[in-house]
Amino acid sequence: MTAPSIWEVLDRACNTGQLTAAKDFDMKIFSVASRLSKEHGIRYDPETPVSGDDGLADDAWEAGFELFREVGSYCMNSGRVIKFDESEIRDGLREVRGEAVVGEGAERRILTLRGVEDKRPPSIVCGGVIESDFPEGENFVKLYQSIAQEPVIEGFYVGPPLHTSEGRLVRSGTPLEAHLGRSMVSWVREAVRRAGRPGMHFISACTPAIANVAAADPVEGLRRTDGIVSTIMPELKTDYENLNKVTFSHDYGCVKHVYNGGMIGGWAGGPEGALIVSIASAIMAVMVYKVGIGASYNALGYLRASTPNYSAFVTRPCLWGSSIGSQAISRNTKIINTAVAMTNAGPGTEMQFQEIAAALCASIPCGREGLSQGVRRFKVRPLLGSGLENRFWGEVGHAMAGVKRDFANSLAKEMLARYENKITKDSDGGPLGYTFDEIYDLNTLTPRKNFLEVYEKVKKELGDLGLEFKYY
Amino acid sequence: MSEAVLNFDSVAAVDAAREAVALKIDPVKAIEGGLAKGLREIGDRFERGEMYLPHLILGADAMEAAVKVLEEHVPREELESISRGTVVIGTVEGDIHDLGLRIVASMLRANGFKVHDLGCNTKSMDFIEKAKEVDADIIAVSSLMTTTMPFMKDLIEALEVTGIRDRFKILLGGGPVSERWAEEIGADGYGRDASEAVRVAKELVAERRSG
Repeated sequence: MTAPSIWEVLDRACNTGQLTAAKDFDMKIFSVASRLSKEHGIRYDPETPVSGDDGLADDAWEAGFELFREVGSYCMNSGRVIKFDESEIRDGLREVRGEAVVGEGAERRILTLRGVEDKRPPSIVCGGVIESDFPEGENFVKLYQSIAQEPVIEGFYVGPPLHTSEGRLVRSGTPLEAHLGRSMVSWVREAVRRAGRPGMHFISACTPAIANVAAADPVEGLRRTDGIVSTIMPELKTDYENLNKVTFSHDYGCVKHVYNGGMIGGWAGGPEGALIVSIASAIMAVMVYKVGIGASYNALGYLRASTPNYSAFVTRPCLWGSSIGSQAISRNTKIINTAVAMTNAGPGTEMQFQEIAAALCASIPCGREGLSQGVRRFKVRPLLGSGLENRFWGEVGHAMAGVKRDFANSLAKEMLARYENKITKDSDGGPLGYTFDEIYDLNTLTPRKNFLEVYEKVKKELGDLGLEFKYY
Repeated sequence: MSEAVLNFDSVAAVDAAREAVALKIDPVKAIEGGLAKGLREIGDRFERGEMYLPHLILGADAMEAAVKVLEEHVPREELESISRGTVVIGTVEGDIHDLGLRIVASMLRANGFKVHDLGCNTKSMDFIEKAKEVDADIIAVSSLMTTTMPFMKDLIEALEVTGIRDRFKILLGGGPVSERWAEEIGADGYGRDASEAVRVAKELVAERRSG
């Protein structure tokens, strides 16, 4: 048997899936995830931010599978539930290729499966500055050039869309979005050309499908070896915009990159529910977004904590859930799964480097194949982001190859001890950080001495704690 | 009654409300000292990270079911007098992110506001029509994308053009939204998170009612 085709999935999403009120779907996720966490004995353990328990990972996998089988996913435009029976899901997971080829020429990379505590380094490191607010034009080009010129970086995430295009404010759903999508990709092409890496892979995270369609161009624009990001919204939800991106990626033949995760405090409930939902989301990426077909890969987002005080990412419960989710998927599927971490602290700060290290403890030793996207500060301040934290992201990611989970757990605890008390409401989650032009000399496109010192200090501290930098 | 809300038990909440009516307990006191107390407790536990969004929804559902019973025995004006204010809430046009919206709406309800939730992707004129219809104190608007933030500005412009800007307070929130943006476009308040949104909403209602 074969899994339902993309056309069958779209039929269920648009025409034949059962009509359901969104609230009923949301509350069903909560009740089923709560029941499954009890049935499978999944309990949050704050003392173990990086789990070393294979049995727990497999229990979490079973719970995630059961949740997706029982609940399915929800199309927000049609109000229909896209459901699959157990044999369809098993067929879909069996069809996942377990390999993806991205980039061109000298920048061609093959993403392959890694296991838990695998000695091989991540098969790709994609950087980025997700959620940063950059102006159009030269500084945008320089930002991505600063990332592309880092030898450890092998691709990057481009997004979100800029505020303006041709100096005019861009509104969602208006024609300037299409032009902006095309412009952003052409500036990225210029950035990788300047870095001497014209075939470098990147992922377009423009929100509207039309912006990605407008950017598709095998020569000057978004190539087939580049990717389009489609998102699974909390929890287990999709919409026509994302399904349009999936359909276009399928027809154009470019890389599909699916971003998903679970949210602590939201419809899933606590850390246990968010963990189960994150695994169900990865299965949804295979079944609905067809991440197993073609050169595609999944970005299992770090669990996020949504509290009345702030949204935080690399917190203790987020690490716990992400470490188990990574292992569950690595041990039970051929899904190529990359790590995504979004820091609470801004660029150029010690805390951001510590958060990156903690995030990677729960990723690379836990079987993730690579790293995608980068780091961000949730609140907007213009020009937040640079190549320097991307360098650190890649170097520490490589250093994590071969690391045992018990060591990763102790290292994560040490990092958490240094920063978690700074994630407070008063600090708005942590230090805001520094802007691109503060961190870099924009004439030479090199990091300034004081920021390099912070980077080297944290790297040395990690070395003193026993992390071996074998590659960089 | 507060126990029924705390246990998310709509049936028990309705039974307790009927019993209160039979015992001739003042419905306003039953709401304030019973149902709302239970929902406030859920809100407090949510703030401490001990309960989650679905608990807020379930608690609010239980309260709403019981209020329907009590409403039949209390004049509408009295019910309105115990409300902290009326809020019309939604995410702006083009934005389909609903999680933060649901959290803020639930926290406002837990704190005694009457909330009309218009959901995601709401056009400016729909916010305005609803606010006029229910005589809202506040129009609360969220956006999670930089490209949908300009629609917040449109809402304020539409209120100005129709000559009713002073009739409602505008409260903004959402991931990329900042206090600076709120000031720049002429909003009345900004909440960086749900608990701050509640605090600012209380201030805005007090300001509106005193002015």
